[in-house]
Amino acid sequence: MPAPDSRPHLLARRRLRFLGLTPDDAIRAFFGGNAVVAVIVLALITYFLVREGAGFFGQNRRNLEVYRLAGLEFVDHLRAQEEAHTALTRRLSELRLQAFDRLSRGGADAEAAERALAPFDAYADRFGVAIDPLRALGSELADVATAIKTKFAVNEDRKEERRQLSAEGRTAEAERVEVVPIDFIAAARPLLAARDRHREVNRALAAELTALLTAAPAPPVPELREPLERFGVEVRAYVSELPAIERRLETWDQARPVSLGEALRAFLFGRQWLTASFWQDWYGLLPLLTGSLLVAGVALILAVPLGVGAAIYVNQFASAREQRVVKPAIEFISAFPSVVLGFFGIAVLGEVLRQVSHVPWLDWIPGFPFSERLNVLTAGCLLALIAVPTIFTLAEDALNNVPRALPEASLALGASRLQTTLRIVFPAALSGIISAVLLGLGRVIGETMVVLLCAGNRIAIPDFTQGLGVMVEPVHTMTGIIAQEMGEVVRGSIHYRALFMVGLVLFLLSLGINFLAQRILRRYRLAPS
Amino acid sequence: MLLAAPALRGEKLVIKGSDTLGAKLVPTLAEEYKATRPGVAFEIAAEGSTTGISAIIEGTAQIGMSSREAKATEISAAAARGVRLNGIVVAFDGLAVIVNARNPIARLTPRQVEQIFTGDVTDWSAAGGRPGKISVYTRNTSSGTYSDWKDLAMRKRDYARSSQKLAGNEQIVAEVARNPNGIGYVGLAYLKAAGIKVLPINGVAPTRENILDKKYAYARPTYFYCNGEPAGEAARFVEFTLGPGGQAIADRLGFVPVR
Repeated sequence: MPAPDSRPHLLARRRLRFLGLTPDDAIRAFFGGNAVVAVIVLALITYFLVREGAGFFGQNRRNLEVYRLAGLEFVDHLRAQEEAHTALTRRLSELRLQAFDRLSRGGADAEAAERALAPFDAYADRFGVAIDPLRALGSELADVATAIKTKFAVNEDRKEERRQLSAEGRTAEAERVEVVPIDFIAAARPLLAARDRHREVNRALAAELTALLTAAPAPPVPELREPLERFGVEVRAYVSELPAIERRLETWDQARPVSLGEALRAFLFGRQWLTASFWQDWYGLLPLLTGSLLVAGVALILAVPLGVGAAIYVNQFASAREQRVVKPAIEFISAFPSVVLGFFGIAVLGEVLRQVSHVPWLDWIPGFPFSERLNVLTAGCLLALIAVPTIFTLAEDALNNVPRALPEASLALGASRLQTTLRIVFPAALSGIISAVLLGLGRVIGETMVVLLCAGNRIAIPDFTQGLGVMVEPVHTMTGIIAQEMGEVVRGSIHYRALFMVGLVLFLLSLGINFLAQRILRRYRLAPS
Repeated sequence: MLLAAPALRGEKLVIKGSDTLGAKLVPTLAEEYKATRPGVAFEIAAEGSTTGISAIIEGTAQIGMSSREAKATEISAAAARGVRLNGIVVAFDGLAVIVNARNPIARLTPRQVEQIFTGDVTDWSAAGGRPGKISVYTRNTSSGTYSDWKDLAMRKRDYARSSQKLAGNEQIVAEVARNPNGIGYVGLAYLKAAGIKVLPINGVAPTRENILDKKYAYARPTYFYCNGEPAGEAARFVEFTLGPGGQAIADRLGFVPVR
């Protein structure tokens, strides 16, 4: 056998060596290098996300500690008492509405109804005014607490300024920056001293409310008798809880430290995300997480039947001509920029859905009619549109990958086309279809523009007591809050790091979904024959 | 050559901040200013007063538009970075309460406004209107108007949990115009839209005269923030804004001039 080098080749092969590599090796190294760069970039992004976000827990711990030390927690106990009373006033308002409704339907005109409700109105007014002394006390104490907190924050900034000036070597200027040590215990003494006044106010409040109950007016309409009795019971419960609040204020420990675990729990399970507040900022993930999951859920409920159904049809039942039309059309949907879809949602879809919800014969649908046109449903419909091409393509791939032996055997045994598809092909491709759905979910959870424009931007856990009617509530999402608040944060501040933490949670969620999808696909995939 | 010409002649002014100022007023001022000084390029980003103040602190803008005053914590945070936040009042703005044109309510008291926006009251019937759940539309947290409203109308309490946060004045107008149960607040320059109704507070309507006479409750100064004294092109633009030409434009757009 002659040596390979001395054989004449059809194509003259130049034996160049570039950095000790043949051209083949060089090309292989180039591709390998690109792959490595992609992995490195991913690792760097993860590292930076974690680095910027990890500082959040320390800052949140400090945030919660200052909340306690500056006395804001103390004042919030008072405010909770005020809130409970306001909720009762709202109940009275609802009862009045019911009574007015009943009177109008009973044939009275507006003026007669107002006259009939006058004693009830006087009662409600007296009830509402009863809380004023407590509100005034709360307001005064709130001012004290806010002053302590502002002094602390300004002092922290001065410390930072001094540190920076010293670092630059301008020690003379650094000395001139005035840093006043804050003594929280001393500063909060007026709050603790107010406990006596609080007890007095509570005694007067209890007396007033009990007197009100005995002087309750007759129900303006008979249907209101029972609700008014229930209201009386609630007021008595409120009055009986006043000593508990006083005890809470007595046992309030200003110097109790806040642990890192508490800071973590406050983020992961916090029910409130409130920033730029004059009072206290809360960084709780739950409203955003439930918003994201709700919108993604609605999107999947709409997209999975459409996407998987279309995939089954196109793969199993469509003629070649239909395939040539339907497949590109569905894949063309993914060509829409999401911001265009969001704009479509604001300008057209939201209003159309609201008009549709007011159609009388549709009011059996939970949540219909609704008045907010930017809500979970609008955003969910548009996200479903975005998810359908992903689910369709991947599900169709999964159906294609079913080994041909299976449907052929089924058909040979006499099954109809429909039976083969539903009983053989679909179950065989199930793992791939599930994986497609999960990838669609991952796509939808990370979508920003559509939810920022169309989901309503209400930062609160939606009201699940309405059952399925929660679909028409406005929500805010994790992606939306990052996009909305990104521009206003100062680098390194707690708000900045909180947004990075939200981004990290989103990242981990997407990672988990993708990982699950791949695991399912790999484990249950049938070997192609 | 074409690209080099403006760079040779003028510089770029980066202005970031308030949507109240930056949506209509400052772009119009920029257009007028460019007529007298061609070659100056403007980059105006109106994403909320807080972004404007942050931009001045971080040095990414020459002028920060703000519809609220800088907070003490912002001033100290700026000082920690060696930046002196200097606020120059450029116009006065009123905040008007708007409801849907089909809402039968004709007036509100400041107490009712506070109750509605803080969520103490959730139904229109409690304020004297047709029964229906109140849909509260507010700006978002990067807005100075958001913060000012809490200060002027809500005694610094927080917004209702059920309030929806929208990105700008125009969005609030659009939502309130389409939702019969909607209520929101916008600057004076946005009152002439169809479908909305402006409510007088305690009988006082948000007109220029009432604001100048200090009879209307919800009026506030709007600022240009700079790092120390403005210099160069920024100084000339601020001077133009405070001069007769700029103030006439502010007047025309519905703001109240400083003089």
